[in-house]
Amino acid sequence: MKTLGLIIVGLVGAGLVYATIDFPPFGDPKSPASLHVSPRYLEKTVEETAVPNAVTSVLGDYRGFDTMFETTVIFCAGVACFLLLRIPRRRSSGPRQYRHRLTGLTFRIKEGGEIFLPLREFEPVDSIWTPHDFIIEKVCRYLIPFIQLFGLYVIAHGHHSPGGGFQGGVILGASIILLSVSHNLRTALNRMGEKISALFSPVGVFIFAGTGALCLVLGYRFLDYQALAALLPGGPIMARSHGILLVEVGVGMAVMGTMVWIFKNLASRGRYDEGL
Amino acid sequence: MVIDLIVAFCLVVGLIFFAGGTLGLLRFPDFYSRLHPAGKLDTMGSFLVLLGLAIHQLFPLTLGTVLTGLKLMLIVVFVFLASPTATHAIVDAGFRAGLEPWRKGDPRR
Repeated sequence: MKTLGLIIVGLVGAGLVYATIDFPPFGDPKSPASLHVSPRYLEKTVEETAVPNAVTSVLGDYRGFDTMFETTVIFCAGVACFLLLRIPRRRSSGPRQYRHRLTGLTFRIKEGGEIFLPLREFEPVDSIWTPHDFIIEKVCRYLIPFIQLFGLYVIAHGHHSPGGGFQGGVILGASIILLSVSHNLRTALNRMGEKISALFSPVGVFIFAGTGALCLVLGYRFLDYQALAALLPGGPIMARSHGILLVEVGVGMAVMGTMVWIFKNLASRGRYDEGL
Repeated sequence: MVIDLIVAFCLVVGLIFFAGGTLGLLRFPDFYSRLHPAGKLDTMGSFLVLLGLAIHQLFPLTLGTVLTGLKLMLIVVFVFLASPTATHAIVDAGFRAGLEPWRKGDPRR
């Protein structure tokens, strides 16, 4: 059986290697990939969309449908994780722990018991709670705003430099995940709750598809951003550039929301408690 | 000419730091001591290499090149903050997980 597998793997590998011989040489100007649409995109991008970065214009404008459904796939991944993992929180199941923020004392409340102290001074903790590390906590607290600023810059600057909605959204989502890793999941949930992260991903997809639908309403084809010239200043070419920006904002929101949503579900096994 | 020499000096010394860090990562006996070169020498190496690059692109002196140099230095600032913190976090996690530090005479781990 093992020999048979080895023979099959060897044959398939040899077939793949044989197939690669037919590939065009690296950087061949006569290869099919660089004969048809690529030169057109590269030559006409600035002329037609006023976007110097051809990657962004292809992603957001020429291949807008592809990107829209990529965003939808990301949203579906978030929903699938949520449906598979999320466990609805059951009220008062077993004892609960509360930690006094100032003194560090932890109280254990029996099942069905009530706490009569001001809850603002207490935080709910789990049995696996560990004290936060001072250095990590402080450094992350000062780094996170800059990370988020950089994420916004990457989204907004995708027209001129490498970047765009996907990358910027990942950076924004990673900043929330960093908060969750450096403190705990509850701190991150206080900053960006389950509902907000779950709302961000469909809203992002909605912004993308809504931009396309708006073009349709204004009498052009779906995702033909020239139509936005009726609403935005700068004529039809700048309207395409602005349309790409709108779409990138939608992508960024969807990616950020989905990343945070998936992380929360995975890290706490769907219970949204202490987690990591 | 002098600028090129300074740039070359920065790059070479930075690469020596990187090489030392990699060597330490491979040769030191246990988890904690291996993280020591990884956290310190890589930070210093990236500082020197990025400083060299920033000086290299600074001439002719215009607003654009100065801004690029400042951005490169900003990367250094964030590496200086983040890299030792990350090392500290890993060491902290190892210590909390109960990994004993290596002592003289112990076998290499």
